Amino acid sequence: MREFTLKSTITYKLYRQLIIQLEDFLSTIGDIVIYAKEVISLILKRELDWKEIIEQCARFGVSSLPITLSIVGMSSVIVAMQVAGEMVKQGAGNYVGMLVAMLIVREDGIIMSGFAIISMIGSSIASEIATMRVTEQIDAIQVLKVNPIRYLFVPRVLSGVLMMPPVLVVASLVGIVGGGVASHLASGLSYRAFFESVWHGLFMKDMNVALLKAVVFGFTIALISCVCGYTAKGGARGVGEATTKAVVWSFVAIVLWDLLFSVIFFF
Amino acid sequence: MSIEVKNLIKRFDEKTVIDNISFKVDSGEILAIVGFSGSGKSTVLKLICGLIDKDGGEIKTSGDIAMVFQYSALIDSLNVADNISFALRERKDLRKKYTDAQIRKIVREKLALVGLSGVESKYPSELSGGMQKRVSFARAIVTEPNIILYDEPTAGLDPVSSTLIEDYIVRLKEETHAASIVVTHQMSTIMRTADKIIMLYNGKVVFTGTPQDLMRQDTPYTKQFVTASLDGPMKMLQG
Repeated sequence: MREFTLKSTITYKLYRQLIIQLEDFLSTIGDIVIYAKEVISLILKRELDWKEIIEQCARFGVSSLPITLSIVGMSSVIVAMQVAGEMVKQGAGNYVGMLVAMLIVREDGIIMSGFAIISMIGSSIASEIATMRVTEQIDAIQVLKVNPIRYLFVPRVLSGVLMMPPVLVVASLVGIVGGGVASHLASGLSYRAFFESVWHGLFMKDMNVALLKAVVFGFTIALISCVCGYTAKGGARGVGEATTKAVVWSFVAIVLWDLLFSVIFFF
Repeated sequence: MSIEVKNLIKRFDEKTVIDNISFKVDSGEILAIVGFSGSGKSTVLKLICGLIDKDGGEIKTSGDIAMVFQYSALIDSLNVADNISFALRERKDLRKKYTDAQIRKIVREKLALVGLSGVESKYPSELSGGMQKRVSFARAIVTEPNIILYDEPTAGLDPVSSTLIEDYIVRLKEETHAASIVVTHQMSTIMRTADKIIMLYNGKVVFTGTPQDLMRQDTPYTKQFVTASLDGPMKMLQG
């Protein structure tokens, strides 16, 4: 018969698992804060590798554009198709453009772009850096006395900050145009009525806040992806875990940022 | 230009993986750290080059340290030339020291030294294991280090490639006069490269001597290691 010990009980195992998860949660937050500080300090000291930054900008902006445009465009079309018919029937056709534009600029555009970039770019950054970690490439960089934060983090984080706003602008434009086309097809609303309403519904504040969000989201997604990759442990499994962690943490972080922005600017 | 290690201790959690070891390597000398897998050999190298922190003891090194990793650890997004010149282009104190033309010349020289040429634009994935290893040698010596650490340099290579790599280790010692440490458990590498040897078991030094001393099999440890016997003081499961 197997000997009964406290360590063999399910309660103890669950408790251990909980402690491990909690430790991991706290150490990840600590890592994000420490590396954010180091990245900002290196950027302020202009420790920049422009060749690498340009390469990362191309990856962040150009590679993510098709999927970002598709997601933002389609979500805007879906909203327009659902609301346009009903609003025109109720005599509120002049407000369709305003509603779609506000939704895209304030929320949908940035959140959908964020999700697209996390799944497309964030996961790829995390898995790339995690692979470099488990194959000792980062150790080699350190032994060669090259700062891995300057070489790996700074170009990726800076490309997030620089490229997320233009991606958002293009995605929002596509979203609004898509909304206009969908409204016209779904309810016969004229393009002129739709776009006049868009101009009435958009304020400078909305656009400025959206651009600020884009900068913060770009920084957050790139930083979290770098940190999760950099702190990966083990082999192939470690790479997979780091990638999943980067995606989950980035999703949660941008939703939390979004909530904070809403409270600060629109509450 | 030497390495001096005194009473070095390293623990992972509660387990002591390096237990009070001491040794010295002079300029132009090769020390082989040998032992079965899990005996703490690679940990010693990581401690010397500062990749992990020690828990006790002293490590004194003079000059630049370079390391050749077990699986080459070439940066796979960079081609051979960019890998070799990585430190020259990215290291803070070297970044502005060389022009592009000088860097290209240095890359060609280092590649020639390890018997490769015309592979500058290839990526690591396009090279064989032996060639990757030689590129990692070239990368390691690009800053003309005073200390070179080799982690299992011939592991996983065919016998002819192993001989080639062993010859390069000796040649680099002669050309650079660097103090070198080779971590290995391959007899051919030990015999062909080492000036002196320490054997580790469970993080402790259990033998110190020359390759000839090792082959005499005067102690139970050397006898078990050389004959690759399961019987002896070293138990694999404990390692």
